[in-house]
This record gives sequence, structure tokens and C-alpha cells, in this order.
Amino acid sequence: MAVTALITWLVTATGGFVMLAGWIGRGGHRPGSSGRLSPTMVFTHLLLAAAGLVVWIIYVAADADALAWVAFVLLLPVALLGFTMFARWLGSRRTSAAPESRFPMPVVLGHGLFAAVTLVLVLLTAVGVGE
Amino acid sequence: MRLMDSAKQPVTTLAGSYGHPVHPALVAVPIGAWIGSFVFDVASRIVADGHVLAEGSRWLIGLGVLGAVGAALAGFLDLVAIPPGTRAFRIAIAHMSINLIVTGLFGVGFALRGGSADRVGWGPLVLSAVALAGLGVGGWLGGTLAFRYGVRVADEATQRTGYVRAGSTEEDA
Repeated sequence: MAVTALITWLVTATGGFVMLAGWIGRGGHRPGSSGRLSPTMVFTHLLLAAAGLVVWIIYVAADADALAWVAFVLLLPVALLGFTMFARWLGSRRTSAAPESRFPMPVVLGHGLFAAVTLVLVLLTAVGVGE
Repeated sequence: MRLMDSAKQPVTTLAGSYGHPVHPALVAVPIGAWIGSFVFDVASRIVADGHVLAEGSRWLIGLGVLGAVGAALAGFLDLVAIPPGTRAFRIAIAHMSINLIVTGLFGVGFALRGGSADRVGWGPLVLSAVALAGLGVGGWLGGTLAFRYGVRVADEATQRTGYVRAGSTEEDA
């Protein structure tokens, strides 16, 4: 289950980077951007998710139970920020000038879906289901 | 905003405030850990019982890799502040690529060193030496970005305020 979570986490990260590249490419992070996603929000989401991924890789390699909980706790604000940005993305689709309005729908939904699966798998691993 | 000024501004406060970037502070962790690791490598071959040094060296490599990942994330925030298509941006891409390869090499070194050894073998030691040479090149490019092109460095008007003596004006500075 820990390895499955690692795989779904990596798939989620790939989707995130696709959106990040598009957003930066259209200047979403620049001052004066017409987007509704703030750089601090986007990059906090990225930094915490990346930190969690590193913790999860160490957990998979070293099998120290406490690390699974650390990863889960790191993912909670990541998920909260993700939902916030999703709501803002929905709002931005009416204004085509926003850099995030061009995110492909399958990437956005796939990212959220894989993220949710990852969060559940991480929790199940942390509580010790299937051991 | 002029192109150069945009590279001086933090993209977000996560990258540090204006004139106080986080990335150059974080790179001290991998640089220090990896140099310390190499000293341990060499020392493990000199002292009578090098087991503790070999083990410590592996820990330092791991610490350096973790520090490098953190530094890379902060560095990425400074990279996207640089306008694409400029010389500074190309150097930043080279700086990032070289240092990611260096981090990968130390990751390989960490994996190769599994198990307990009385001293560090020549293979992992040479690998670390090559990676450190790469780190020197990557670090040089980082220095070029900061000290030659002023990426994330406060503008000259701000710098001048640090040179005003009591009783003199800012023009004298």
C-alpha cells in the first residue's frame, strides 16, 4: 500500500507540474497577473507536497511508522490549499485572461482524484491497515 | 518593471523577503554536509578503525541530499523570477541542471554505501569527488547569478543606504 501511495503521489505531482508550467508560462506568478491564484498559495502547496513526498520516500525506504503520520499531517494543508485553488480555478474559467483558466479539465480533475486517493492510502498506511 | 528588477523581487515571501533570499542560505547545508562527508571518506582510509567515519559519511550524504532538495525548491522560486530568454536565465538553467545531477550522484553514492564497512571504498570516494567537482561548477554559476547579475540582490539605491555616514547625505555614499 505504501508503494501504491508513492506511485499515485508521483502521478499527482506530474499533473501538478503540468499545471504549474502552464501557469508560470502565462506569467501567473508575475506581479500584475490577472489570475486568481496567489503565488504564495501555489508555492506553499508545492513546497508542502514536495516535503511530504520526500518524507514518504524515506518512510518507504526506512519503514519508520512515525514518518507515515508526518507525511499525512503535511498533506492536510496541501489538500486544503488544493481545494481552495480548485474553487478559484472554477471561478476563473469565466475570465479567459486568467493564466489558470487554460488548465486542461482532465489534468485538473485527474490531479484532484489522484491526490484524494494518495491522501486515503497514506492515512490507511499510517493507521496500519493491511499489515 | 524592468527585466532586471523582476529578478530582484521575490515571487512569493516563501522565497524570502526582498534582499533576503532563502535559497543562498539553504545551499550551505548540502555544501557543508557533502564536504564534511568527503573529509570523513578520506579519514576513514587513514585511521585504524574507520567504521564510524564511513557510517557518519553516509549520514552526511543523506543530510546533504535532503538539504539539496529543500534548497532546490527555494531555488526554483528564484529561477521563475528571472525573465526567460535572458543570459541570466540560461545560466540559471545550467546552474539548476548541474546541481540536480550532483544531487543525483550523491543519491547514487548513498545507495551504493549500504551496509557496514570499515572504510569507504575507492568507488564511492571517487564518485563523491566527481560530484564535488560538479558542485564547484554549479556553485560558481550560482555566484555569477548573485554577484554578477544581482539575482535576488537588492537594487543599488537600497545598497547605497548602507553607506551613509552620520552627518553625511545619501549622495556621498
